[in-house]
Amino acid sequence: MSKPYDLAIVGAGLSALSALQAGIASARTVVLDYQDAPGGFLKAALPAPGFEEAWELVRSSGIPRRVTTFYGTTAVGLLPAFEVGEPHVLIARQRGGTAEIYARRVLIACGGLELTREHAQIPGTRPAGIITPVLAHQFLSRGYLPGKRAVVYGGSRYVQATAERLAGAGIEVTLVLPPKGEVTRAAALPPGDQPELPGAELIAIEGFPRLEKVKFRRDGEFFDVPADTLVYGAGMTANTHWLKGSGIIMGEYGTIQVSSFYETNVQGVYAVGTVIAPSLDHAGSIAMGKELCIRY
Amino acid sequence: MEMQRVDVLVIGGGVVGCAILRELSRYDATVALLERNPDICEGTSKSNSAIVHTGFDAPPGSLEARLLAEARGLWPDIIESLHIPYLQTGALMVATSSSELATIESEIIPKAERNGVVLQRLAREEILEAAPYINPRLTGGVLVEGEGVIDPFWTARAYCENAVSNGAQVFLGESVTSITVEDECVYVHTGGGLALAASMVVNAAGLWADEVARMAGDDSFTLTPRRGQFIVVEEDHGVSQIILPVPNRISKGILVTPIVFGGVLLGPTAEEVDAKTDLATTAQGLHQIREGIGKLVPVMAGAESVRQFAGLRAVSSTGDYIIRASTVSSRILHVAGIRSTGLSASPAIGRYASGLVRDELRLSQRNHFMDELPGYLTGMHPDEGDVVCLCRSITRGEILFALRSPLPPATLDSLKRRTGVMLGDCQGNLCMARLIDLFQEQLGRDPLTLAKNVAGSCPIAGRLTGTRWEGQG
Repeated sequence: MSKPYDLAIVGAGLSALSALQAGIASARTVVLDYQDAPGGFLKAALPAPGFEEAWELVRSSGIPRRVTTFYGTTAVGLLPAFEVGEPHVLIARQRGGTAEIYARRVLIACGGLELTREHAQIPGTRPAGIITPVLAHQFLSRGYLPGKRAVVYGGSRYVQATAERLAGAGIEVTLVLPPKGEVTRAAALPPGDQPELPGAELIAIEGFPRLEKVKFRRDGEFFDVPADTLVYGAGMTANTHWLKGSGIIMGEYGTIQVSSFYETNVQGVYAVGTVIAPSLDHAGSIAMGKELCIRY
Repeated sequence: MEMQRVDVLVIGGGVVGCAILRELSRYDATVALLERNPDICEGTSKSNSAIVHTGFDAPPGSLEARLLAEARGLWPDIIESLHIPYLQTGALMVATSSSELATIESEIIPKAERNGVVLQRLAREEILEAAPYINPRLTGGVLVEGEGVIDPFWTARAYCENAVSNGAQVFLGESVTSITVEDECVYVHTGGGLALAASMVVNAAGLWADEVARMAGDDSFTLTPRRGQFIVVEEDHGVSQIILPVPNRISKGILVTPIVFGGVLLGPTAEEVDAKTDLATTAQGLHQIREGIGKLVPVMAGAESVRQFAGLRAVSSTGDYIIRASTVSSRILHVAGIRSTGLSASPAIGRYASGLVRDELRLSQRNHFMDELPGYLTGMHPDEGDVVCLCRSITRGEILFALRSPLPPATLDSLKRRTGVMLGDCQGNLCMARLIDLFQEQLGRDPLTLAKNVAGSCPIAGRLTGTRWEGQG
């Protein structure tokens, strides 16, 4: 067994970067992330208006030089220490194969997965053209357009930024807010692309093989929006499949339960960010990363 | 247009057509298969409960019952040589009233015996001890030990790939536009401009087999679509067996079926629909599944779902499998009306149908038939261990293995069915862009024409021109 790390951080998204910038790293710290660079899944959407702090954090990357980084490295399992004082073992997959990473403390900051239309069990056809904001940004950053006419559905600032970026790429965008959407400022969309207010409930999908129509209900009234693309941004769920069998206690939708010191039920294993609070937005993740450093 | 000559042409690349193609590739003959979709396994074969039935409840004396019984003996070898993921879970039929318990005694058990399947009676307490998730209102039940679940996509693809390894030809994205029957052969033309002259045609076109028959002037049967909706649940809540209700006159009911790669399926509904393309789920259907399942396994009524889908099965006007020569020519063999047991019976259907072709054309066995596929993940490169599909921890090596196979996936969904990518919580939204990159890098596929499944289902609609976004990512 190689000498264990003092701290292994799973994920290099906003909450991890924020904690690193606030000084969480000790002499032997390792960070691993699924992607090839830090910034989490938000990275593809940056820079964007209202995300200045996040962009600054990602661009400058608050990761001190002494910290070891493994990108393209995905944690697929956690074996907690049998006895206090022994290191925990993270099982990770990377290009070269499977690696075991030993660490006295582990910080789980691997974020979330976007909720999908399927998660909400919205009936109808299953055509091409139904995507989430992350995929929309990944397409655009590769120079691909997901469609010509998009309905963007969601109430977060992130969804709003996604709508603006799609509109900026020349796509005709209709932003529809869900009943519980929180809009903090008017979306910078061309006239005619303004959100349908107040919130409407997405109730069905039509068209095959390509999306043709998205159906909504508002105040008991039904209306359709013709579109070849639906960007469904209803929120996140915790990315904790890989912790199945680890003994870490998880609540509804895989959300990790932590103490007020961000410690899980396993001593020396901590969790922060979306993985403990899926409704957190980017600003919340940054704040929580800082707070973790004070309390932990 | 150049006419291509083949001995046998199979129309339809579902599990049945692929099973027949594999059996035909044992003979000293040129064999080919036409599939109208961009990849095989796009119809009934892709959306079903994935159960390998014993046939305990098949109509005794029917061709269906006979082939299901024969298939029971063929599966173990096929599963081994084609490395098909399979779990012998057993199926538990649960009665929730005394009249249902009486139906089991008076109908289910005697019928199973006539089909050569022994059922094991279980008392209420025995069931609750082994399966505490079952509704305590139950009155008793029977165990069908031989029932299991399989990977249906793997099965169809492995049949087909094995046939290709033995010299069979597969034409994808080619729909039949005309069939002309002559004394010496059958001429088949396709939408893509292929012209084939076959000594014999096997019509395995699934739900569309009646329309293929009609192209040849044969209107001896009709097929109607019956829709089944399903709900996929990732967390199995301890369910490790197929749980089914006592069937009534209308339907076999809503089941809980373990999925071979984890999670469970709830469903199906059984709805007569008008169109052979109506694959939509409905609020009513999904509600009916939840309600039905709640009576058997209460925890599933509200279980979180990652996906819902619908499939269509072919209901034949005759009530049984239609495996016989066309009324217009002995050069056309129909294999139709296979309703919902096609996957289960496919090994036997393949043998039976290919045997009829062999007799008609007097074919002889080839000297060399390779009945195995290379083992999974052999030839995987050591530096391909990084994860692409985050939800299911599927590595780049597993994806490249599929992309480099003898019959590479032609669509995103077919890559999904071969590897399990895009089946988790995010439904492919995190990794689809990377998968499209890999299709381009490995197979030279243009991202703008790469379909999700059928023609016209491309996730990418165009290219960004002019001001390119200046972010990272």
